[in-house]
Amino acid sequence: MSENIHQRALQLIAQARLEGMPETDAAWLRAHLETCDSCAAHARQTDRSLRALRSVAIPLPDGLARRTQFRVRLRAQELREREPKRRALWFACGVSWIFGGVSAPYVWSLFQLLGARAGLPKFVWEIGFGLWWTIPALFVVAVLLMEKVRQGDEPAWMR
Amino acid sequence: MPGATLFFSTLMADEAKTIARGLQRRDPDLLDRLIEQYQYRLFRYLVYVTGNKERAEDFFQETWIRVLERGHQYDGKSKFEAWLFAIARHLVIDWQRSKKAQSLETLTDPEQEHPLQLVNESEPSPLHQVLSNETEETVLASLQKIPAIYREVLVLRFQEELQIDEMAGVLSIPVSTVKSRLYRGLQALRGALPGGAAS
Repeated sequence: MSENIHQRALQLIAQARLEGMPETDAAWLRAHLETCDSCAAHARQTDRSLRALRSVAIPLPDGLARRTQFRVRLRAQELREREPKRRALWFACGVSWIFGGVSAPYVWSLFQLLGARAGLPKFVWEIGFGLWWTIPALFVVAVLLMEKVRQGDEPAWMR
Repeated sequence: MPGATLFFSTLMADEAKTIARGLQRRDPDLLDRLIEQYQYRLFRYLVYVTGNKERAEDFFQETWIRVLERGHQYDGKSKFEAWLFAIARHLVIDWQRSKKAQSLETLTDPEQEHPLQLVNESEPSPLHQVLSNETEETVLASLQKIPAIYREVLVLRFQEELQIDEMAGVLSIPVSTVKSRLYRGLQALRGALPGGAAS
């Protein structure tokens, strides 16, 4: 028998166990195994190996589930307690944005007026206005960054 | 038969959706049930991946904490256990990275010529200590001869009975790579078991 035929048989023996194969290949393999002792022994050995792998039992540590359930419940409680604070923070951010948007024209006029009274160049009070506008946004960014650091980077596999 | 298959797949899909909804709510009773239900499979997987019982215990607990915290990300479209194993595996990888500043992939992939020895060869293996049953010692010793990435796919396929595409999801690798590892793993398993290479 040619070496290629045995190679094909060995390949199909593995394929059948790992991912399945078409019926035509299965029939060919069955016929081959009936006539080839070497490949039949290979198939038996493969099955023995897999049975052995499936049979391995690992003893579970005492109380592992109970301890884990306790830890998970504690953590759940922590998260529940933190939830209202987070909601309040987001609410404050939202209110701050809305207020900032609504009040912007008035604040601009105020800066313009104060700048004119103080005799400041236009770009100075404009920078002042810009800073006033930017600070809440920077605060939000800082809060978000802190939140992200606290939670740890979320890897792609979690999504 | 197709009717029964459809029935069971629908049942499993419903179960996955129920789990997803419960995790969204962080339902403590559901989490208790899941911990009970998957404790053996998750712990076994972690023992194989880490090669150490104590470490596996730590990762076991951390995995469930992650499940609680990130449960809203599970959409119920895939098997819960595949998602669970992915979380556990990535916790181990993160730990490996922080410990050695290298990924588990790089460390364990013999194709990259950086074989990982999860345990010190000069000491009795913790994995070996975990499995005390004499009838299983030969199998265990054989498993230890197999590189970790092959051992992992064999465990996922033949102990956890995940499908190849589910394994690809757990391992974050293409299906073709899963298959290639499975074939090599099977070859390694046969070669590692006494008399395997001879036949």
